[in-house]
Amino acid sequence: MTYSDILMLLPVTLADGLVLGLVYATIALGYSMVYGVLGLINFAHSEIFMVGAIVSVEVMTYAFVGSDLHPIIQIAVAMVCAATVSGTLAVAAERIAYRPLRIRKAPFLAPLITAIGISLFLQDAVRFIESLFGQFIRPFPSIPFFDQQIPLTANDTISYKSVTILVIAGTMLLTLNYLVQHTKLGKAIRAVALDRKAASLMGVNVDRIIMITFLIGGILAGVAGVLYALQFGRVDPFTGFIPGLKAFTAAVLGGIGSIPGAMLGGVILGILEVLIGTYAPIFTNNVIGTEYKDIFAFGILIIILIFKPTGLLGRSTTEKV
Amino acid sequence: MTAGSQTAPLLEVRDLQAYYGHIHALKGVSFKVEKGEIVTLIGGNGAGKTTTLATISRLLTSSTGDILFEGRSITGLEPHDVVNAGIAHVPEGRRIFSGLTILENLEMGAFALSDKAEIARRLEHGFTLFPRLKERVKQLGGTLSGGEQQMLAVARALMQNPRILLLDEPSMGLSPLFVERIFEIIEAINREGTTVLLVEQNAHMALGIAHRAYVLKNGEIAMEGDARHLLSDDAIREAYLGEG
Ligand SMILES: Nc1ncnc2c1ncn2[C@@H]1O[C@H](COP(=O)(O)OP(=O)(O)OP(=O)(O)O)[C@@H](O)[C@H]1O
Ligand SMILES: [Mg+2]
Repeated sequence: MTYSDILMLLPVTLADGLVLGLVYATIALGYSMVYGVLGLINFAHSEIFMVGAIVSVEVMTYAFVGSDLHPIIQIAVAMVCAATVSGTLAVAAERIAYRPLRIRKAPFLAPLITAIGISLFLQDAVRFIESLFGQFIRPFPSIPFFDQQIPLTANDTISYKSVTILVIAGTMLLTLNYLVQHTKLGKAIRAVALDRKAASLMGVNVDRIIMITFLIGGILAGVAGVLYALQFGRVDPFTGFIPGLKAFTAAVLGGIGSIPGAMLGGVILGILEVLIGTYAPIFTNNVIGTEYKDIFAFGILIIILIFKPTGLLGRSTTEKV
Repeated sequence: MTAGSQTAPLLEVRDLQAYYGHIHALKGVSFKVEKGEIVTLIGGNGAGKTTTLATISRLLTSSTGDILFEGRSITGLEPHDVVNAGIAHVPEGRRIFSGLTILENLEMGAFALSDKAEIARRLEHGFTLFPRLKERVKQLGGTLSGGEQQMLAVARALMQNPRILLLDEPSMGLSPLFVERIFEIIEAINREGTTVLLVEQNAHMALGIAHRAYVLKNGEIAMEGDARHLLSDDAIREAYLGEG
Protein backbone atom coordinates (compact mmCIF):
# COMPACT_ATOMS: atom_id res chain seq x y z
CA MET A 1 0.00 0.00 0.00
CA THR A 2 1.25 3.42 -0.86
CA TYR A 3 1.19 6.51 1.25
CA SER A 4 -1.65 8.01 -0.75
CA ASP A 5 -3.73 4.81 -0.51
CA ILE A 6 -3.41 5.01 3.24
CA LEU A 7 -4.37 8.67 3.26
CA MET A 8 -7.34 7.97 1.02
CA LEU A 9 -8.84 5.65 3.63
CA LEU A 10 -8.77 8.41 6.19
CA PRO A 11 -12.02 10.32 5.48
CA VAL A 12 -14.17 7.17 5.54
CA THR A 13 -12.40 5.90 8.61
CA LEU A 14 -12.94 9.14 10.46
CA ALA A 15 -16.59 9.27 9.40
CA ASP A 16 -17.18 5.72 10.62
CA GLY A 17 -15.37 6.53 13.83
CA LEU A 18 -17.52 9.58 14.39
CA VAL A 19 -20.71 7.56 13.83
CA LEU A 20 -19.61 4.97 16.37
CA GLY A 21 -18.32 7.66 18.71
CA LEU A 22 -21.60 9.56 18.77
CA VAL A 23 -23.45 6.35 19.64
CA TYR A 24 -20.99 5.75 22.50
CA ALA A 25 -21.39 9.36 23.59
CA THR A 26 -25.17 9.06 23.66
CA ILE A 27 -24.90 6.04 25.96
CA ALA A 28 -22.06 7.53 28.00
CA LEU A 29 -24.18 10.53 29.01
CA GLY A 30 -26.47 8.28 31.02
CA TYR A 31 -23.57 6.87 33.03
CA SER A 32 -22.06 10.26 33.55
CA MET A 33 -25.22 12.15 34.55
CA VAL A 34 -26.32 9.50 37.04
CA TYR A 35 -22.81 9.40 38.47
CA GLY A 36 -22.92 13.18 38.65
CA VAL A 37 -26.05 13.37 40.80
CA LEU A 38 -25.65 10.16 42.83
CA GLY A 39 -22.01 9.04 42.65
CA LEU A 40 -23.42 5.73 41.42
CA ILE A 41 -22.15 3.69 38.47
CA ASN A 42 -25.44 2.47 37.05
CA PHE A 43 -24.28 -0.80 35.52
CA ALA A 44 -27.87 -1.54 34.48
CA HIS A 45 -27.52 1.27 31.93
CA SER A 46 -26.07 -1.06 29.28
CA GLU A 47 -29.20 -3.22 29.51
CA ILE A 48 -31.47 -0.18 29.32
CA PHE A 49 -29.65 0.51 26.05
CA MET A 50 -30.06 -3.10 24.91
CA VAL A 51 -33.81 -3.00 25.61
CA GLY A 52 -34.05 0.11 23.42
CA ALA A 53 -32.31 -1.76 20.62
CA ILE A 54 -34.64 -4.78 20.99
CA VAL A 55 -37.74 -2.58 21.05
CA SER A 56 -36.65 -0.90 17.81
CA VAL A 57 -36.12 -4.26 16.10
CA GLU A 58 -39.58 -5.44 17.14
CA VAL A 59 -41.25 -2.21 16.09
CA MET A 60 -39.53 -2.32 12.70
CA THR A 61 -40.34 -6.02 12.29
CA TYR A 62 -43.96 -6.10 13.41
CA ALA A 63 -45.17 -2.63 12.45
CA PHE A 64 -43.18 -1.68 9.40
CA VAL A 65 -42.00 -4.65 7.29
CA GLY A 66 -43.63 -4.05 3.92
CA SER A 67 -44.89 -0.64 5.02
CA ASP A 68 -45.00 2.30 2.60
CA LEU A 69 -44.20 4.76 5.31
CA HIS A 70 -41.00 6.73 4.72
CA PRO A 71 -38.09 4.91 6.41
CA ILE A 72 -37.14 8.05 8.35
CA ILE A 73 -40.64 8.13 9.84
CA GLN A 74 -40.38 4.43 10.65
CA ILE A 75 -37.11 5.06 12.50
CA ALA A 76 -38.66 8.03 14.26
CA VAL A 77 -41.55 5.88 15.51
CA ALA A 78 -39.10 3.17 16.64
CA MET A 79 -37.11 5.83 18.45
CA VAL A 80 -40.13 7.14 20.32
CA CYS A 81 -41.08 3.59 21.37
CA ALA A 82 -37.54 2.68 22.42
CA ALA A 83 -37.05 5.94 24.30
CA THR A 84 -40.35 5.44 26.12
CA VAL A 85 -39.56 1.89 27.20
CA SER A 86 -35.93 2.60 28.11
CA GLY A 87 -36.82 5.82 29.92
CA THR A 88 -39.52 4.04 31.90
CA LEU A 89 -37.17 1.20 32.82
CA ALA A 90 -34.48 3.60 34.00
CA VAL A 91 -36.97 5.46 36.19
CA ALA A 92 -38.34 2.15 37.50
CA ALA A 93 -34.84 1.03 38.48
CA GLU A 94 -34.36 4.28 40.41
CA ARG A 95 -37.73 4.15 42.15
CA ILE A 96 -37.82 0.44 42.93
CA ALA A 97 -34.17 -0.27 43.65
CA TYR A 98 -31.89 2.72 44.12
CA ARG A 99 -34.10 5.16 46.04
CA PRO A 100 -35.01 2.73 48.84
CA LEU A 101 -31.30 2.00 49.31
CA ARG A 102 -30.56 5.72 49.41
CA ILE A 103 -33.26 6.36 52.01
CA ARG A 104 -31.79 3.59 54.17
CA LYS A 105 -28.33 5.14 53.71
CA ALA A 106 -26.89 1.91 52.30
CA PRO A 107 -23.12 1.98 51.75
CA PHE A 108 -22.09 2.52 48.12
CA LEU A 109 -21.47 -1.16 47.30
CA ALA A 110 -25.15 -2.02 47.85
CA PRO A 111 -26.50 0.03 44.93
CA LEU A 112 -23.57 -1.14 42.82
CA ILE A 113 -24.45 -4.80 43.36
CA THR A 114 -28.10 -3.92 42.83
CA ALA A 115 -27.20 -2.37 39.48
CA ILE A 116 -25.46 -5.56 38.41
CA GLY A 117 -28.52 -7.50 39.57
CA ILE A 118 -30.87 -5.35 37.51
CA SER A 119 -28.54 -5.78 34.57
CA LEU A 120 -28.65 -9.59 34.75
CA PHE A 121 -32.40 -9.51 35.37
CA LEU A 122 -33.03 -7.45 32.23
CA GLN A 123 -30.81 -9.70 30.11
CA ASP A 124 -32.68 -12.79 31.19
CA ALA A 125 -36.11 -11.15 31.04
CA VAL A 126 -35.48 -10.14 27.43
CA ARG A 127 -34.09 -13.56 26.60
CA PHE A 128 -37.11 -15.24 28.18
CA ILE A 129 -39.64 -13.09 26.37
CA GLU A 130 -37.89 -13.35 23.02
CA SER A 131 -37.54 -17.12 23.40
CA LEU A 132 -41.31 -17.42 23.75
CA PHE A 133 -41.60 -16.19 20.18
CA GLY A 134 -38.59 -17.99 18.69
CA GLN A 135 -34.93 -17.06 18.30
CA PHE A 136 -33.65 -14.50 20.77
CA ILE A 137 -31.10 -13.18 18.30
CA ARG A 138 -33.06 -10.59 16.41
CA PRO A 139 -32.12 -9.20 12.97
CA PHE A 140 -32.92 -5.56 12.18
CA PRO A 141 -35.07 -5.67 9.00
CA SER A 142 -33.05 -4.51 6.02
CA ILE A 143 -34.18 -1.19 4.61
CA PRO A 144 -32.67 -0.45 1.17
CA PHE A 145 -33.22 3.28 1.67
CA PHE A 146 -30.50 3.40 4.32
CA ASP A 147 -27.95 1.63 2.11
CA GLN A 148 -27.98 4.41 -0.47
CA GLN A 149 -24.74 6.34 -0.69
CA ILE A 150 -23.92 9.99 -1.03
CA PRO A 151 -20.46 11.33 -1.94
CA LEU A 152 -18.15 12.18 0.93
CA THR A 153 -14.95 12.99 -1.01
CA ALA A 154 -13.97 12.60 -4.63
CA ASN A 155 -13.49 8.86 -4.13
CA ASP A 156 -15.59 8.01 -1.16
CA THR A 157 -19.22 7.79 -0.24
CA ILE A 158 -21.13 7.68 3.00
CA SER A 159 -24.38 5.79 3.53
CA TYR A 160 -27.73 7.32 4.36
CA LYS A 161 -27.56 5.11 7.42
CA SER A 162 -24.43 6.81 8.69
CA VAL A 163 -25.79 10.26 7.93
CA THR A 164 -29.03 9.42 9.76
CA ILE A 165 -27.10 8.26 12.83
CA LEU A 166 -24.85 11.34 12.75
CA VAL A 167 -27.81 13.68 12.52
CA ILE A 168 -29.93 11.99 15.19
CA ALA A 169 -27.12 11.45 17.70
CA GLY A 170 -25.73 14.93 17.05
CA THR A 171 -29.15 16.48 17.59
CA MET A 172 -29.64 14.55 20.84
CA LEU A 173 -26.27 15.70 22.16
CA LEU A 174 -26.82 19.34 21.25
CA THR A 175 -30.31 19.30 22.75
CA LEU A 176 -29.03 17.78 25.97
CA ASN A 177 -26.22 20.27 26.16
CA TYR A 178 -28.69 23.12 25.76
CA LEU A 179 -31.00 21.61 28.37
CA VAL A 180 -28.25 21.22 30.94
CA GLN A 181 -26.47 24.51 30.33
CA HIS A 182 -29.31 26.91 29.64
CA THR A 183 -32.54 25.78 31.28
CA LYS A 184 -33.77 25.94 34.85
CA LEU A 185 -34.01 22.14 34.95
CA GLY A 186 -30.40 21.90 33.79
CA LYS A 187 -29.26 24.32 36.47
CA ALA A 188 -31.07 22.22 39.07
CA ILE A 189 -29.41 19.04 37.78
CA ARG A 190 -25.99 20.69 38.03
CA ALA A 191 -26.79 22.03 41.49
CA VAL A 192 -27.88 18.60 42.72
CA ALA A 193 -24.69 17.11 41.30
CA LEU A 194 -22.58 19.70 43.15
CA ASP A 195 -24.35 19.57 46.53
CA ARG A 196 -27.57 17.69 47.14
CA LYS A 197 -28.28 19.22 50.55
CA ALA A 198 -27.63 22.75 49.40
CA ALA A 199 -29.91 22.15 46.41
CA SER A 200 -32.72 21.02 48.69
CA LEU A 201 -32.21 24.22 50.71
CA MET A 202 -32.91 26.12 47.48
CA GLY A 203 -36.34 24.50 47.29
CA VAL A 204 -35.30 21.84 44.79
CA ASN A 205 -37.06 18.50 45.11
CA VAL A 206 -33.87 16.45 44.89
CA ASP A 207 -35.55 13.07 44.44
CA ARG A 208 -37.49 14.45 41.52
CA ILE A 209 -34.34 15.81 39.87
CA ILE A 210 -32.63 12.44 40.37
CA MET A 211 -35.61 10.71 38.75
CA ILE A 212 -35.53 13.12 35.81
CA THR A 213 -31.82 12.44 35.42
CA PHE A 214 -32.50 8.71 35.16
CA LEU A 215 -35.30 9.46 32.69
CA ILE A 216 -33.02 11.55 30.46
CA GLY A 217 -30.27 8.92 30.61
CA GLY A 218 -32.79 6.19 29.77
CA ILE A 219 -34.22 8.12 26.83
CA LEU A 220 -30.73 8.70 25.43
CA ALA A 221 -29.86 5.02 25.89
CA GLY A 222 -33.07 3.99 24.12
CA VAL A 223 -32.29 6.21 21.15
CA ALA A 224 -28.71 4.94 21.10
CA GLY A 225 -30.14 1.41 21.03
CA VAL A 226 -32.11 2.21 17.86
CA LEU A 227 -29.05 3.72 16.20
CA TYR A 228 -26.91 0.76 17.20
CA ALA A 229 -29.45 -1.74 15.86
CA LEU A 230 -29.71 0.22 12.61
CA GLN A 231 -25.93 0.33 12.25
CA PHE A 232 -25.07 -3.26 13.15
CA GLY A 233 -28.25 -4.98 11.97
CA ARG A 234 -28.53 -7.53 14.77
CA VAL A 235 -29.48 -7.43 18.41
CA ASP A 236 -29.65 -9.99 21.22
CA PRO A 237 -30.14 -9.83 25.00
CA PHE A 238 -26.37 -9.57 25.52
CA THR A 239 -25.80 -6.80 22.99
CA GLY A 240 -25.57 -4.19 25.73
CA PHE A 241 -22.44 -5.47 27.39
CA ILE A 242 -19.60 -4.36 25.10
CA PRO A 243 -21.05 -1.01 23.95
CA GLY A 244 -22.05 -0.36 27.57
CA LEU A 245 -18.52 -1.05 28.76
CA LYS A 246 -17.10 1.21 26.08
CA ALA A 247 -19.57 3.98 26.83
CA PHE A 248 -18.66 3.72 30.50
CA THR A 249 -15.00 3.94 29.49
CA ALA A 250 -15.82 6.97 27.37
CA ALA A 251 -17.49 8.60 30.37
CA VAL A 252 -14.40 7.97 32.52
CA LEU A 253 -12.07 9.15 29.76
CA GLY A 254 -14.01 12.39 29.42
CA GLY A 255 -14.22 12.82 33.18
CA ILE A 256 -17.12 11.02 34.81
CA GLY A 257 -19.81 13.45 35.91
CA SER A 258 -18.91 15.85 33.12
CA ILE A 259 -21.45 16.09 30.32
CA PRO A 260 -19.18 17.62 27.64
CA GLY A 261 -16.62 15.08 28.85
CA ALA A 262 -18.90 12.14 28.08
CA MET A 263 -19.47 13.51 24.59
CA LEU A 264 -15.77 14.08 23.95
CA GLY A 265 -14.83 10.71 25.45
CA GLY A 266 -17.33 8.89 23.25
CA VAL A 267 -16.13 10.55 20.08
CA ILE A 268 -12.45 9.95 20.90
CA LEU A 269 -13.05 6.32 21.75
CA GLY A 270 -15.13 5.70 18.62
CA ILE A 271 -12.58 7.32 16.32
CA LEU A 272 -9.61 5.59 17.99
CA GLU A 273 -11.32 2.24 17.70
CA VAL A 274 -12.09 2.58 14.00
CA LEU A 275 -8.71 4.15 13.17
CA ILE A 276 -6.84 1.32 14.84
CA GLY A 277 -9.20 -1.28 13.38
CA THR A 278 -8.44 0.04 9.90
CA TYR A 279 -4.75 0.83 10.13
CA ALA A 280 -3.35 -1.81 12.48
CA PRO A 281 -3.69 -4.59 9.86
CA ILE A 282 -2.27 -2.34 7.14
CA PHE A 283 0.80 -1.26 9.08
CA THR A 284 1.54 -4.72 10.46
CA ASN A 285 0.89 -6.71 7.33
CA ASN A 286 -2.12 -8.34 8.95
CA VAL A 287 -0.09 -9.65 11.89
CA ILE A 288 -2.35 -7.58 14.09
CA GLY A 289 -5.87 -7.90 12.78
CA THR A 290 -8.85 -5.63 13.26
CA GLU A 291 -10.03 -7.84 16.11
CA TYR A 292 -7.25 -6.47 18.35
CA LYS A 293 -8.43 -2.89 18.01
CA ASP A 294 -9.85 -2.74 21.53
CA ILE A 295 -6.54 -3.60 23.17
CA PHE A 296 -4.90 -0.62 21.54
CA ALA A 297 -7.84 1.69 22.04
CA PHE A 298 -7.95 0.84 25.75
CA GLY A 299 -4.16 0.99 26.00
CA ILE A 300 -4.22 4.55 24.76
CA LEU A 301 -7.01 5.34 27.21
CA ILE A 302 -4.96 4.03 30.11
CA ILE A 303 -2.07 6.24 29.05
CA ILE A 304 -4.35 9.29 28.86
CA LEU A 305 -5.73 8.52 32.31
CA ILE A 306 -2.24 8.19 33.78
CA PHE A 307 -1.53 11.75 32.70
CA LYS A 308 -5.04 13.05 33.44
CA PRO A 309 -6.51 10.79 36.14
CA THR A 310 -9.75 12.77 36.46
CA GLY A 311 -10.44 12.38 32.75
CA LEU A 312 -10.07 14.96 30.02
CA LEU A 313 -12.73 17.39 31.27
CA GLY A 314 -13.18 16.02 34.78
CA ARG A 315 -13.15 18.19 37.85
CA SER A 316 -10.01 17.70 39.86
CA THR A 317 -10.76 16.12 43.23
CA THR A 318 -9.10 18.94 45.15
CA GLU A 319 -11.85 21.26 43.97
CA LYS A 320 -14.53 19.26 45.77
CA VAL A 321 -13.72 20.22 49.33
CA MET B 1 -58.28 33.39 61.36
CA THR B 2 -58.53 33.12 65.08
CA ALA B 3 -56.98 35.59 67.42
CA GLY B 4 -54.69 32.78 68.59
CA SER B 5 -52.97 32.31 65.25
CA GLN B 6 -52.50 36.08 64.94
CA THR B 7 -50.37 36.12 68.05
CA ALA B 8 -48.62 32.79 67.51
CA PRO B 9 -44.83 33.16 67.20
CA LEU B 10 -43.47 33.00 63.66
CA LEU B 11 -41.36 30.01 64.63
CA GLU B 12 -41.71 27.87 67.70
CA VAL B 13 -39.67 24.84 68.63
CA ARG B 14 -41.01 22.55 71.34
CA ASP B 15 -39.04 19.93 73.20
CA LEU B 16 -36.78 19.09 70.28
CA GLN B 17 -34.75 15.90 70.68
CA ALA B 18 -32.30 14.83 67.99
CA TYR B 19 -30.07 11.83 67.61
CA TYR B 20 -27.08 10.85 65.49
CA GLY B 21 -27.20 7.10 65.96
CA HIS B 22 -26.69 6.80 69.70
CA ILE B 23 -25.49 10.34 70.19
CA HIS B 24 -28.19 12.40 71.84
CA ALA B 25 -27.41 15.80 70.31
CA LEU B 26 -30.52 17.77 71.36
CA LYS B 27 -32.12 17.00 74.70
CA GLY B 28 -35.38 18.89 74.70
CA VAL B 29 -34.73 22.27 73.13
CA SER B 30 -37.59 24.79 73.17
CA PHE B 31 -37.59 28.38 71.94
CA LYS B 32 -39.62 30.95 70.05
CA VAL B 33 -38.93 33.53 67.41
CA GLU B 34 -41.46 36.33 67.09
CA LYS B 35 -42.13 38.04 63.80
CA GLY B 36 -39.68 40.88 63.16
CA GLU B 37 -37.11 39.75 65.73
CA ILE B 38 -33.46 38.87 65.55
CA VAL B 39 -33.05 35.94 67.91
CA THR B 40 -29.62 34.49 68.47
CA LEU B 41 -28.74 30.99 69.54
CA ILE B 42 -25.27 31.03 71.03
CA GLY B 43 -23.11 28.25 72.40
CA GLY B 44 -19.72 26.62 72.10
CA ASN B 45 -18.47 23.81 69.88
CA GLY B 46 -20.75 20.81 69.79
CA ALA B 47 -23.54 22.54 71.71
CA GLY B 48 -26.11 21.54 69.09
CA LYS B 49 -26.60 24.80 67.18
CA THR B 50 -26.15 23.38 63.69
CA THR B 51 -28.25 20.36 64.64
CA THR B 52 -31.09 22.65 65.73
CA LEU B 53 -31.11 24.50 62.39
CA ALA B 54 -30.83 21.27 60.39
CA THR B 55 -33.80 19.88 62.29
CA ILE B 56 -35.88 22.96 61.52
CA SER B 57 -35.10 22.80 57.80
CA ARG B 58 -35.68 19.01 57.90
CA LEU B 59 -32.22 18.12 56.62
CA LEU B 60 -32.15 16.05 59.77
CA THR B 61 -35.25 13.96 60.37
CA SER B 62 -34.21 11.68 63.24
CA SER B 63 -35.83 13.96 65.79
CA THR B 64 -38.86 14.19 68.05
CA GLY B 65 -40.70 17.21 69.34
CA ASP B 66 -42.60 19.78 67.38
CA ILE B 67 -41.63 22.65 65.10
CA LEU B 68 -44.37 25.17 64.41
CA PHE B 69 -44.07 27.74 61.64
CA GLU B 70 -46.84 30.34 61.60
CA GLY B 71 -48.71 28.05 63.95
CA ARG B 72 -48.51 24.97 61.73
CA SER B 73 -46.33 21.92 62.33
CA ILE B 74 -43.63 21.47 59.68
CA THR B 75 -42.08 18.26 60.97
CA GLY B 76 -43.79 16.25 58.24
CA LEU B 77 -42.37 18.34 55.40
CA GLU B 78 -39.45 17.64 53.07
CA PRO B 79 -36.59 20.19 53.05
CA HIS B 80 -37.74 21.74 49.75
CA ASP B 81 -41.26 22.22 51.15
CA VAL B 82 -39.85 23.92 54.26
CA VAL B 83 -37.98 26.34 52.02
CA ASN B 84 -41.04 27.04 49.93
CA ALA B 85 -43.05 27.68 53.10
CA GLY B 86 -40.76 30.66 53.74
CA ILE B 87 -37.80 29.41 55.79
CA ALA B 88 -34.39 30.12 54.26
CA HIS B 89 -31.37 28.38 55.75
CA VAL B 90 -27.79 29.52 55.18
CA PRO B 91 -26.03 26.36 56.29
CA GLU B 92 -22.78 25.92 58.15
CA GLY B 93 -19.83 26.18 55.76
CA ARG B 94 -21.87 28.27 53.28
CA ARG B 95 -22.26 25.47 50.75
CA ILE B 96 -22.43 27.62 47.68
CA PHE B 97 -22.38 25.78 44.35
CA SER B 98 -18.70 25.91 43.43
CA GLY B 99 -19.26 24.91 39.79
CA LEU B 100 -22.07 27.38 39.13
CA THR B 101 -21.49 31.05 38.41
CA ILE B 102 -22.47 33.66 40.96
CA LEU B 103 -25.49 34.57 38.88
CA GLU B 104 -26.52 30.92 38.65
CA ASN B 105 -26.08 30.52 42.41
CA LEU B 106 -28.38 33.46 42.97
CA GLU B 107 -30.90 32.16 40.45
CA MET B 108 -30.93 28.84 42.30
CA GLY B 109 -32.07 30.80 45.34
CA ALA B 110 -35.19 31.82 43.45
CA PHE B 111 -35.75 28.30 42.16
CA ALA B 112 -39.44 28.11 43.05
CA LEU B 113 -40.12 31.44 41.38
CA SER B 114 -40.92 31.72 37.67
CA ASP B 115 -41.80 35.42 37.48
CA LYS B 116 -38.77 36.81 35.59
CA ALA B 117 -39.42 40.42 36.56
CA GLU B 118 -39.60 39.50 40.23
CA ILE B 119 -36.37 37.49 39.97
CA ALA B 120 -34.67 40.50 38.37
CA ARG B 121 -36.00 42.74 41.13
CA ARG B 122 -34.64 40.47 43.86
CA LEU B 123 -31.29 40.23 42.06
CA GLU B 124 -31.02 44.02 41.99
CA HIS B 125 -31.87 44.16 45.66
CA GLY B 126 -29.17 41.60 46.42
CA PHE B 127 -26.65 43.63 44.46
CA THR B 128 -27.45 46.78 46.41
CA LEU B 129 -26.70 44.87 49.63
CA PHE B 130 -23.62 43.17 48.18
CA PRO B 131 -22.15 45.32 45.38
CA ARG B 132 -19.07 43.06 45.26
CA LEU B 133 -21.19 40.25 43.86
CA LYS B 134 -22.43 42.32 40.96
CA GLU B 135 -18.91 42.82 39.60
CA ARG B 136 -18.39 39.07 39.60
CA VAL B 137 -21.64 37.59 38.26
CA LYS B 138 -19.89 35.44 35.64
CA GLN B 139 -17.26 34.12 38.04
CA LEU B 140 -17.58 30.56 39.39
CA GLY B 141 -18.75 30.37 42.99
CA GLY B 142 -15.76 28.24 43.99
CA THR B 143 -13.33 30.98 43.01
CA LEU B 144 -14.69 33.51 45.55
CA SER B 145 -12.89 34.31 48.79
CA GLY B 146 -14.37 33.03 52.04
CA GLY B 147 -15.97 36.34 52.88
CA GLU B 148 -17.39 36.75 49.40
CA GLN B 149 -18.77 33.21 49.59
CA GLN B 150 -20.51 34.08 52.84
CA MET B 151 -22.04 37.12 51.19
CA LEU B 152 -23.16 35.02 48.25
CA ALA B 153 -24.71 32.48 50.61
CA VAL B 154 -26.71 35.20 52.36
CA ALA B 155 -27.68 36.88 49.08
CA ARG B 156 -28.74 33.51 47.67
CA ALA B 157 -30.99 32.84 50.66
CA LEU B 158 -32.52 36.31 50.33
CA MET B 159 -33.48 35.46 46.73
CA GLN B 160 -36.11 33.21 48.35
CA ASN B 161 -37.66 36.30 49.94
CA PRO B 162 -38.06 34.29 53.16
CA ARG B 163 -40.27 35.01 56.14
CA ILE B 164 -37.42 33.90 58.36
CA LEU B 165 -33.71 33.59 57.69
CA LEU B 166 -31.73 30.93 59.56
CA LEU B 167 -28.03 31.78 59.64
CA ASP B 168 -25.42 29.28 60.83
CA GLU B 169 -22.29 31.10 62.01
CA PRO B 170 -22.06 33.72 59.29
CA SER B 171 -18.92 35.14 60.94
CA MET B 172 -16.96 31.89 60.77
CA GLY B 173 -13.55 32.31 59.20
CA LEU B 174 -14.01 35.97 58.36
CA SER B 175 -11.68 38.87 59.11
CA PRO B 176 -12.97 41.36 61.73
CA LEU B 177 -13.81 43.84 58.99
CA PHE B 178 -15.92 41.30 57.11
CA VAL B 179 -17.57 40.17 60.33
CA GLU B 180 -18.67 43.70 61.07
CA ARG B 181 -19.93 44.14 57.53
CA ILE B 182 -21.95 40.92 57.61
CA PHE B 183 -23.54 41.84 60.94
CA GLU B 184 -24.48 45.26 59.59
CA ILE B 185 -26.13 43.56 56.66
CA ILE B 186 -28.05 41.18 58.93
CA GLU B 187 -29.38 44.20 60.82
CA ALA B 188 -30.32 45.87 57.54
CA ILE B 189 -32.14 42.76 56.33
CA ASN B 190 -34.03 42.66 59.62
CA ARG B 191 -34.98 46.33 59.36
CA GLU B 192 -36.47 45.56 55.95
CA GLY B 193 -38.81 43.11 57.66
CA THR B 194 -37.14 39.70 57.59
CA THR B 195 -37.11 37.78 60.85
CA VAL B 196 -33.70 36.28 61.69
CA LEU B 197 -32.59 33.28 63.73
CA LEU B 198 -28.84 33.72 64.11
CA VAL B 199 -26.60 30.91 65.31
CA GLU B 200 -23.23 32.16 66.51
CA GLN B 201 -20.15 31.35 68.53
CA ASN B 202 -19.22 34.98 68.35
CA ALA B 203 -21.57 35.76 71.21
CA HIS B 204 -20.41 39.33 71.67
CA MET B 205 -21.25 40.34 68.12
CA ALA B 206 -24.46 38.32 68.03
CA LEU B 207 -25.79 39.77 71.28
CA GLY B 208 -24.91 43.20 69.94
CA ILE B 209 -27.51 43.01 67.17
CA ALA B 210 -30.07 40.54 68.56
CA HIS B 211 -33.26 41.33 70.42
CA ARG B 212 -33.33 38.11 72.39
CA ALA B 213 -30.95 35.22 72.92
CA TYR B 214 -30.84 31.59 73.95
CA VAL B 215 -27.69 29.94 75.22
CA LEU B 216 -27.31 26.34 74.14
CA LYS B 217 -25.10 23.98 76.14
CA ASN B 218 -24.74 20.23 75.61
CA GLY B 219 -27.98 20.05 73.68
CA GLU B 220 -30.03 22.00 76.21
CA ILE B 221 -31.08 25.62 76.61
CA ALA B 222 -28.96 26.78 79.53
CA MET B 223 -30.12 30.38 79.64
CA GLU B 224 -32.39 32.76 77.79
CA GLY B 225 -33.35 36.38 77.86
CA ASP B 226 -33.04 39.86 76.52
CA ALA B 227 -29.85 40.16 74.44
CA ARG B 228 -28.65 43.37 76.08
CA HIS B 229 -29.27 41.86 79.46
CA LEU B 230 -27.27 38.72 78.64
CA LEU B 231 -24.45 40.86 77.30
CA SER B 232 -24.02 42.39 80.73
CA ASP B 233 -24.50 39.10 82.58
CA ASP B 234 -21.34 37.93 84.31
CA ALA B 235 -22.05 34.23 83.83
CA ILE B 236 -22.40 34.69 80.08
CA ARG B 237 -19.31 36.78 79.86
CA GLU B 238 -17.36 34.09 81.63
CA ALA B 239 -18.72 31.13 79.74
CA TYR B 240 -19.17 32.46 76.22
CA LEU B 241 -17.40 35.72 75.73
CA GLY B 242 -14.05 34.60 77.05
CA GLU B 243 -13.89 37.62 79.30
CA GLY B 244 -14.00 35.70 82.59
N1 LIG C 1 -23.16 13.73 61.52
C1 LIG C 1 -22.96 13.55 62.85
N2 LIG C 1 -22.76 12.32 63.32
C2 LIG C 1 -22.56 12.12 64.64
N3 LIG C 1 -22.56 13.08 65.56
C3 LIG C 1 -22.77 14.34 65.14
C4 LIG C 1 -22.98 14.64 63.75
N4 LIG C 1 -23.16 15.96 63.64
C5 LIG C 1 -23.05 16.47 64.88
N5 LIG C 1 -22.83 15.49 65.77
C6 LIG C 1 -22.68 15.68 67.24
O1 LIG C 1 -23.81 16.37 67.71
C7 LIG C 1 -23.44 17.35 68.65
C8 LIG C 1 -23.94 18.71 68.21
O2 LIG C 1 -23.28 19.09 67.02
P1 LIG C 1 -23.57 20.44 66.25
O3 LIG C 1 -22.90 20.35 64.92
O4 LIG C 1 -25.03 20.69 66.25
O5 LIG C 1 -22.83 21.50 67.16
P2 LIG C 1 -22.64 23.06 66.95
O6 LIG C 1 -23.24 23.72 68.13
O7 LIG C 1 -23.12 23.49 65.63
O8 LIG C 1 -21.06 23.20 67.05
P3 LIG C 1 -20.04 24.13 66.23
O9 LIG C 1 -20.12 25.49 66.85
O10 LIG C 1 -18.73 23.50 66.46
O11 LIG C 1 -20.46 24.14 64.79
C9 LIG C 1 -21.92 17.28 68.78
O12 LIG C 1 -21.62 16.53 69.92
C10 LIG C 1 -21.49 16.54 67.54
O13 LIG C 1 -20.34 15.77 67.79
MG1 LIG D 1 -22.22 24.24 63.97
